[in-house]
Amino acid sequence: MTDQLLAELRKMRSTRTNLGLLAGMIALILLTVLLNGFVPNADELMTHDNQHALLSAGTSAALFAALIGVMAITSEFRHGTIRPTFVVTPQRTRVIGAKVIASLMMGALFGLAAIGLSLGVGYAILTVRDIPLELGTGHVLWLVVGTPAMTAAWAALGVGLGAVVRNQVFAVIGLIVWAMVIDNLLRGLLPSIGGYTPVGASAALVADPADYVLAAAAGGLLLLGYLVALVAAGAILVARRDVT
Amino acid sequence: MDRPSNHSAVELKQTFPRATGETAVVRAEHLSKCFGDLRAVDDLTFSLKRGTVTGFLGPNGAGKTTTLRMLLHLVEPSAGRALVFDRRYQDLERPAAQVGAVLEAADFHPGRSGRDHLFSLALALGRGTQGGHWFRERERAAAKRVDAVLDLVELRSAARRRVGGYSLGMRQRLGLAAALLGDPALLILDEPANGLDPEGVRWLRDFLRGFAADGKTVLVSSHVLAEVAQTVDDVIIINQGRLVTISPLAELTERRTGAVRVRARGADKLQAKLEIEGLQVTLLDGGELLVEGAPSARVGEIAYQAGIPLDELVSESSSLEDIFLELTAKEPS
Repeated sequence: MTDQLLAELRKMRSTRTNLGLLAGMIALILLTVLLNGFVPNADELMTHDNQHALLSAGTSAALFAALIGVMAITSEFRHGTIRPTFVVTPQRTRVIGAKVIASLMMGALFGLAAIGLSLGVGYAILTVRDIPLELGTGHVLWLVVGTPAMTAAWAALGVGLGAVVRNQVFAVIGLIVWAMVIDNLLRGLLPSIGGYTPVGASAALVADPADYVLAAAAGGLLLLGYLVALVAAGAILVARRDVT
Repeated sequence: MDRPSNHSAVELKQTFPRATGETAVVRAEHLSKCFGDLRAVDDLTFSLKRGTVTGFLGPNGAGKTTTLRMLLHLVEPSAGRALVFDRRYQDLERPAAQVGAVLEAADFHPGRSGRDHLFSLALALGRGTQGGHWFRERERAAAKRVDAVLDLVELRSAARRRVGGYSLGMRQRLGLAAALLGDPALLILDEPANGLDPEGVRWLRDFLRGFAADGKTVLVSSHVLAEVAQTVDDVIIINQGRLVTISPLAELTERRTGAVRVRARGADKLQAKLEIEGLQVTLLDGGELLVEGAPSARVGEIAYQAGIPLDELVSESSSLEDIFLELTAKEPS
């Protein structure tokens, strides 16, 4: 599968799609950090929860990471490159596997960049405003390790989603509606299951202080479960469906 | 990754002697495909011989594209088998090193350069015997192949530009370059001449003839016989998913059932002369003669020997295209 992985990494580097996603991600995180860093007064920003909100803004990279995965597979169906891809590698599961691994790598890179950005800029704002850091070293460490793990997982989820849906527009809209609307509603209206949604499970990886969030290991395993289920469904469907 | 199948594939290619010319490069056996109620391909059986260019012909919707995709494991047959070099496509070791395919004129990401398109395919194709284990060596081997096929299709100067800005002819050549990456012994092309200008068509024709002259095999589909008539050795004609005829192009040409229309001063005298020669002659309303059973040259010769001046001599023979249309006309149901 090394050959296919190298091919997928080449594809990811050779269009502007992922550069655009990176730029969008950086812009959104900067905006979030600036709002969270300058809107609250000094007393409000002393609280543990508000400092978490400020420094963990990088976790919103998950949505962009998921788009890496969605685009990796749906753009092939959209532009027809799936035909030469499958002619060269008729073992379609191998192609999906390579896309999952390439997306995991790219997603982790996005997560690292994102958390570096929000930690760096967030900490700078705290320093400038002369506010002491309330988060413990362990908490910050969770952000540094948990964010790339989470974004990598979401990138792989995106491949699974894209493989199931195939249509680029529907997959992108479905992802955004789920992550921004449905998942939020579920967590807001049914807090008892809030820790079990994909977004809720991800929160466990980055020491989110919300009440409903599961333990890190439980949340991580649950997210892995979602990932495996969606990727497996996508791989099976792609292997069975005719490419017309 | 030396699977046993690899060895037997190599053996098959070598031990089936070229001299007999009987190895089926492509073999469809009772191939069928249904999409819902539609039988797109219906019990199709044919095979291709090495070193030939075969035209795969039929009107739009005849099942050509579906058949080609079944050969490449893009579409799963409902029944029957599609074999390439005596194996299912997905069972071939490094299939793209044996089969090259150009399926659509636009299977590219418009924002990716032609070179990167080829590069990703070359990497997926793998190193074969070239290149070593390290990523750097794999990349180098892939780059070498990419440059070689770019030269082959004369696209090197535009290779680093994004495909979105390519003309149709350049895209066609890029697709061909992708198909040639693995140095295959069989090329499968689906309607390659669609939208090409005459120069592009001629370039393609010369390329395919050269390819076949090297002992390699081409299967090229078209819905216009005239488009491929100068390129192909054999034709397979299908209609409504079923085989209509499979024959050398020359045999198809011999089926021309021609007639010659003659206008001459002294038509009755000419008619008598022609009938003496055993030709069937009909007197038309305008005083012209319709002669069947001889080419126009023979009719002219008879008239000359009889000293009859001709005002007009028109070959009414049905064209290749007429034969094609006749063969693929919908059966009255």
